Amino acid sequence: MSTVTQEKAPRPVPRLRRTPIIEGQEAVLIAVLVIVGVLLAVFTDTFMTSANIQTVLYTVAPIAIIGVGMTAVMVTAGIDVSVGSQMAIAMVVVGKLLRDTDLGWFPALVVAVVVGSILGIINGLLIVVGRIHPMIITFGTLNVYRYVALQIFGDQQVSGVPDDLGFIGGSVQAVTFGIPNALLLAMALMVIMWAYMRQWAGGRHLYAIGGDPGAARLTGIQVNRKLISVYVLIGVLVGIASLVQVGSGGLIQQNVGIGLELQVIAACVIGGTSVLGGRGTVFGTLLGALLVGTVSSAVTHLGWPNELTNLFVGIFIIVAVGIDLVRQKRRTKL
Amino acid sequence: MSTSTVPGNLQPAKQGPSSDGFGSRVLRRVLTDRVTLLAILIVALLVAFSALSAADRLNAPFNVSYLSTSLMSLVPVALLALAQMFVIMSGRSGIDLSVGGMVSLAAMLFGWLVGPQQWPVITAVVITLIAAMLMGLLNGYLVSYLGFPPLIATLASSYVFGSMAMLANDRAPFADERIAATNALTRRIELFGDVAVPAHVFTVLLPCILIAWLALAKSRWGKSLYAVGTNDVAAKYATQPVKATRASAYVAAGLLSGVAAIVNVAQFASARPDAGTAGNGMALPAITIAVLGGVAIAGGLGRVGGTALAALLITWLNAAILISFQGSMGPRVQLLALGLVLLGAVLLNSYANRRYGLAE
Repeated sequence: MSTVTQEKAPRPVPRLRRTPIIEGQEAVLIAVLVIVGVLLAVFTDTFMTSANIQTVLYTVAPIAIIGVGMTAVMVTAGIDVSVGSQMAIAMVVVGKLLRDTDLGWFPALVVAVVVGSILGIINGLLIVVGRIHPMIITFGTLNVYRYVALQIFGDQQVSGVPDDLGFIGGSVQAVTFGIPNALLLAMALMVIMWAYMRQWAGGRHLYAIGGDPGAARLTGIQVNRKLISVYVLIGVLVGIASLVQVGSGGLIQQNVGIGLELQVIAACVIGGTSVLGGRGTVFGTLLGALLVGTVSSAVTHLGWPNELTNLFVGIFIIVAVGIDLVRQKRRTKL
Repeated sequence: MSTSTVPGNLQPAKQGPSSDGFGSRVLRRVLTDRVTLLAILIVALLVAFSALSAADRLNAPFNVSYLSTSLMSLVPVALLALAQMFVIMSGRSGIDLSVGGMVSLAAMLFGWLVGPQQWPVITAVVITLIAAMLMGLLNGYLVSYLGFPPLIATLASSYVFGSMAMLANDRAPFADERIAATNALTRRIELFGDVAVPAHVFTVLLPCILIAWLALAKSRWGKSLYAVGTNDVAAKYATQPVKATRASAYVAAGLLSGVAAIVNVAQFASARPDAGTAGNGMALPAITIAVLGGVAIAGGLGRVGGTALAALLITWLNAAILISFQGSMGPRVQLLALGLVLLGAVLLNSYANRRYGLAE
């Protein structure tokens, strides 16, 4: 086990196994997004307005930010279903900090990141030490974290949060070149993670662990350390996403984040990430999140009942994974 | 966890520290036999809270009457935990996130048949159960025949079932006198004194537990399910119908969800579109209880007795917590307890497996 030095100096992988920048599933997703957009532009006159597009992009941002972390977790064949409760903790802490002190946004950012990484370390340690499936561990911490969040809330929701974080919030002012700052933040994080997972040895190790943890260990990858780090990463990203969610301030309700994990997992899966590990890109996850956000907005603008969104999301998941399974079979036949 | 229900040839040989002393034998039994551990925990819970109650530290008396009344919430929880047990046991990281969605949709179907359609209740029950089995079959087909990861297939189908239930009557529940009349199913039967047990504990839950036990421990199908869950390649070479067996576990989960849906409608005297998905939903507690009951997440291990006792433990623990805290603290502490108990159970599993060399 003298491979620690290799870990410390990540270097680009050899050019041997470079994958195309846009894979099949991502091209299909872009096509679907364009088609849905065109159809909506034709059939409604309220969807293709800059205000509505900005709203969609803002609501997509937190899911995309957490999705970046979830992609990394799922690539290692893990999963984190506690993100909703983590977000509740981060949001109530940040909300109370902004309301009860006049520290401003930067300490809030630091606190959110620290809170998220602590929650992530707890998940990671339990998974590694207990050697138990991440889903079961995070099901457990989902409940425990929700309790912690409710305790911090106290008896009531947090109201009157100031708009210190308004620059990444959902208002019309928080927009640069017509794109909400929150989504720009998500895209920046995505580009960094995309480069890391694609170009750097440390990022490729995630795929190796997801493909076969035993083999990964034998090649000298510090599997446990790597696993803990991805859960810390998703915790940090949940912290950042909760800043976006707090955004312009106002009201933080006690039920924030319930069901968030399913939305994030749906975005990842529609984007082509495999829950079995070893495959997935953050770019696909962003497209998946955009598709879910677009469909949700489309249902509203077509005057259909909101519940249809979930029906469509369910069908998208089945279709996306079904296509992927077919492609996989074709690949293994060669 | 014990070998009594597992065919000997499927259970890896137990090796570990030789257990000479009485103490180490007891410890080994407690750590490896989930039923023993759960029984001890239930007794400990009863003793502890009876003592607190005697010392007048609780908001309400913790007595036989309270415990028997709280069995009302045991029924759906235990049914869905059994559903998860079958699915998780079937292997290939089996899990069913859609039980909540299936309960909601089946409840709406049952309410629609009994209410607006004026069908006889018996016919409505049969149709609802068949429909619930078809929902389970969809999951089973996706997982077993098409090769979907169970987590993803049931996540997608829970979205589909849940939203169909919401759309069924435009988000409104079905409620009329005929549906309200089904409430008789869940009336309380006075056994002695002021001890009244909900009738469906006897008419629904115990028969379901018995059938589940017969199916799992005594039937060919059960043996096949253990084999498929332990090692599906080996099961295939042993001429077991791997795909059909695995799919049938999901159908069984659908059937049990259908039963839970009918119980839910009867209990609330109305068919609610969010019957199984309100709050955090029913899937999570069900998975927790199955794992607590000793079902190994890797498949192939699990017992009906363990799952039923785990459901009882959680039900009584929740009931005890409810009268120990004021106002909104009760439900909160229930969340905490559920999470901690799950983490404790799986960590204990993992420790016992390593100490006694059982298969994970």
